[in-house]
Amino acid sequence: MQHSVIDREIIGRYIGQPGQLPPALRDQIEREWGNEPVQLYAMSDLDAGLRLVESWVALGPRRLAIARPHNGSWDVRSIDRLDIQAVHESPGLSANTLMLAGAPDEPPLAVARYTQRQRGAFENIRFVLDEAINGRTVTSDDADRVYSDAVARPIRDAQALVARRRATVTLRLLKYLAPYKRQVMFGLGAAAVITIVSLVPPYLAGYVLDRVIRPVQAGTMSRAAALPIAWLAIATMVGVYAIRQTAAHLRLRLMSVLGELVARDLRAELYEHIQRLSLSFFSRKKTGSLITRVTSDTDRLWDFVAFGIVDVSLSMIMLIGLSTVLLLLDWRLGLVMVLPVPLLCWMIYRHGERMNRVFLRAWRKWSRVTDVLSDTIPGIKVVKAFNQEQREIGRFDERNESVTDEFNRIHAMWTTFWPLLMLAVHTMTVSVWFFALPRLLGDGAALSAGVFVSFLLYTTMFVAPIEVIGQMARTMNRATSSAHRVFEVLDSEPEVRDAHEPVKLEPVKGAVSFENVTFAYDGVRQVLRGISFEVKPGELIGLVGPSGGGKSTVVNLIARFYDASGGAVSIDGVDVRKLDSGHYRRQLGMVLQDPYLFHGTVLENIRYGHHEASLGEVIAAAKAANAHDFICKLGQGYDTVVGERGHTLSGGERQRVSIARAILHNPRILILDEATSSVDTETEREIQEALERLIAGRTVFAIAHRLSTLRRASRLFVLEQGKLAESGTHRELLAIPDGIYRRLYEMQLQLA
Amino acid sequence: MNTLERAMPAYRDRETEPLELRHQSDGRLVAGIDGRRVAVKLRQCFPWSEPTRYISLRDSDDKEVAIVDNPSTLDNESRQALELALAEAGFVLEVTRVLDIDEEIEIRQWKVETKQGNRSFQTHLDDWPRVLPSGGLLIRDVAGDLYRLPDPATLDKKSRALLWAFVD
Repeated sequence: MQHSVIDREIIGRYIGQPGQLPPALRDQIEREWGNEPVQLYAMSDLDAGLRLVESWVALGPRRLAIARPHNGSWDVRSIDRLDIQAVHESPGLSANTLMLAGAPDEPPLAVARYTQRQRGAFENIRFVLDEAINGRTVTSDDADRVYSDAVARPIRDAQALVARRRATVTLRLLKYLAPYKRQVMFGLGAAAVITIVSLVPPYLAGYVLDRVIRPVQAGTMSRAAALPIAWLAIATMVGVYAIRQTAAHLRLRLMSVLGELVARDLRAELYEHIQRLSLSFFSRKKTGSLITRVTSDTDRLWDFVAFGIVDVSLSMIMLIGLSTVLLLLDWRLGLVMVLPVPLLCWMIYRHGERMNRVFLRAWRKWSRVTDVLSDTIPGIKVVKAFNQEQREIGRFDERNESVTDEFNRIHAMWTTFWPLLMLAVHTMTVSVWFFALPRLLGDGAALSAGVFVSFLLYTTMFVAPIEVIGQMARTMNRATSSAHRVFEVLDSEPEVRDAHEPVKLEPVKGAVSFENVTFAYDGVRQVLRGISFEVKPGELIGLVGPSGGGKSTVVNLIARFYDASGGAVSIDGVDVRKLDSGHYRRQLGMVLQDPYLFHGTVLENIRYGHHEASLGEVIAAAKAANAHDFICKLGQGYDTVVGERGHTLSGGERQRVSIARAILHNPRILILDEATSSVDTETEREIQEALERLIAGRTVFAIAHRLSTLRRASRLFVLEQGKLAESGTHRELLAIPDGIYRRLYEMQLQLA
Repeated sequence: MNTLERAMPAYRDRETEPLELRHQSDGRLVAGIDGRRVAVKLRQCFPWSEPTRYISLRDSDDKEVAIVDNPSTLDNESRQALELALAEAGFVLEVTRVLDIDEEIEIRQWKVETKQGNRSFQTHLDDWPRVLPSGGLLIRDVAGDLYRLPDPATLDKKSRALLWAFVD
């Protein structure tokens, strides 16, 4: 689903403010502006007295309008954008003020106040106005989308799908059962058999008592006539239990395997989808939360498919079956048993709701306990250094006591409730006795001893299904929450997608060109503003400039982690958007500031991306990367396990393994992102040496803070505020008086 | 001069500077320090522990130009200008009634009445209201807005029942 549609839904459902500028107001503003379009807008939700209101600020190509509600219509005041000479924003705890200043010492042209919720939308307006004051024009193509994105983003980041009705989610989950129709039918069939045959033994007991035992005892039936029936009854019982347990085996087996298959399918689909998603998705979601979705959430869904669905549907069948049989046996006694059932289900449901509240409170207090642990255990050095052990023990004890009180409250509740519920069931049983005994003794409608016994046996069967149905809401809640979290990921679309018939560059030569490239992560605030350059194959380009200047964005666009908002990035003259991105990235290498090594051996890590490389090639690459020596010194050489839970390598060692990996990968275009920033001088020299071997004959883009490392670059690109401010060789740039590069270089010399 | 003061001379210097605060005709708050006039924004150093004292005055680059440790030492006009600006900078929504708290997937949905009007907002499920040093609760929603409940015990019965799980 499109983000803008989700955003509008989020705003409508959760935030309770208009999902867009009211159309009538938009018409009114555009009419007043002589049909110029509204390009951006934001809702100003606080008035001068800091009360919550709905006012709007709209921005057009030449004017800005402020609309305040007035007697059921809108009071619109427009100001000329050329009159705005400065924009001041004062952020507060919850109230922000945007002030548009005109001539100095004149009252402000306009003042808008708003809560943090509207801040993103106002930031966009402020950005465009600031740019205009600095002589740059920024336009937005879709005001509605930009507004809804800014307002809904915090909620969307927390919950990417609007919580749909539980029924919709459940139905979608059930679709995953479609490939396994046969197993589902058999599983449900087996479960139905269990239910039906379970009803037989009590009935049989009553039947044998009335039709065999009592007649024989009364002398109205001979033992000879009774015996075959008795044997038949025993045989039936044997048959019933044999069938029941066979069906139970089938049901458990089929459904647990089926649940596993569904969970496997979901996990596979989920993981495959996660791999295809763009980097922007990962910057929004926490790693832990994604891992939970693939593991615990799918596991919970297994539980639901394997047991939840069947348990709930069978308990319903069981209750209906029991009620029918009881009413058919004796409707008066039947009513005594059946009428209280809905009440019992409701009681269990209510109890569950109350427990939820208590659990919530206990959860909050429990997280206070874990907070102390996750604070003090990693920070134990500080605790000891400041001699705060006693204070921390006290803090923990206080919270531990407090959470124990809550747990005891929970125990008090459930240990009271369940005996009470059983008491209610027993009351029903006693009621059956109360109504049945006088009838057994001859008062009122006749009742046979057999029917009475059947009733007593059936009574015991009521408890289990009532319990399942009472907890149905909770089971469904848990399953739909998990399903929702899984579907949320599955429904996220990768933002970078390959063209219909992608081009494969065979091989990539390494010419990179940027043609008036603009880029904004959020669609409005540009990080790159019209950058153009041409790089020939084999050039070493150093990207320098203050942080936030756009260096990382340039390499992100070259690697096609994102697509440019405007202009074009081309590789060997072909727009990257037309390339087969998988094929292209195989010819692209990256060495990052903090290289990531996967859990596995050094060998596996060097071979990552090039699994067929021979051991000789691996050693050659490691030697070129100055890594061979230290690898040999590791306990198990190239077979030493590193990465998470493995042998810990130092930053410089990891860096050299990652360089070996890049050398083996043999990319045509190489990106070095601050590759030597976090190591000591000696290690830096070794890495530098390794890098020099790596970069030979490739197009290289290197980001570095230490400018001295870039002296060998063919050219340096100085990026400042998203623009290519200077470019040339080290020598050329130093020759520019008051140049940015020269200033940065001199500053570093002074620090060195 | 005690050890702490000797260790922090910069703090003492600023404290003794004469300071004048005015609202300029263009709407901005301007601080006059030693003959200089600088447009400033306010930042409370202790919004909950000591909201009306230790106010940091910051220029357009967000650098501190002065700190007002006690507004009562300012001249009348400066104090009024400071209080006016502080009302905005320290503004948070004040909850007077809780209408509903509902748990959804990943988020908790709150419907409240505030002194400023009705409002719905959302928090992460594992974000709990914070107990303030002066008492009362503070809730931060997913967008960063703050909601203050000065004294939950004095709210109506339904609000208290809804808040029960969140208050000690």
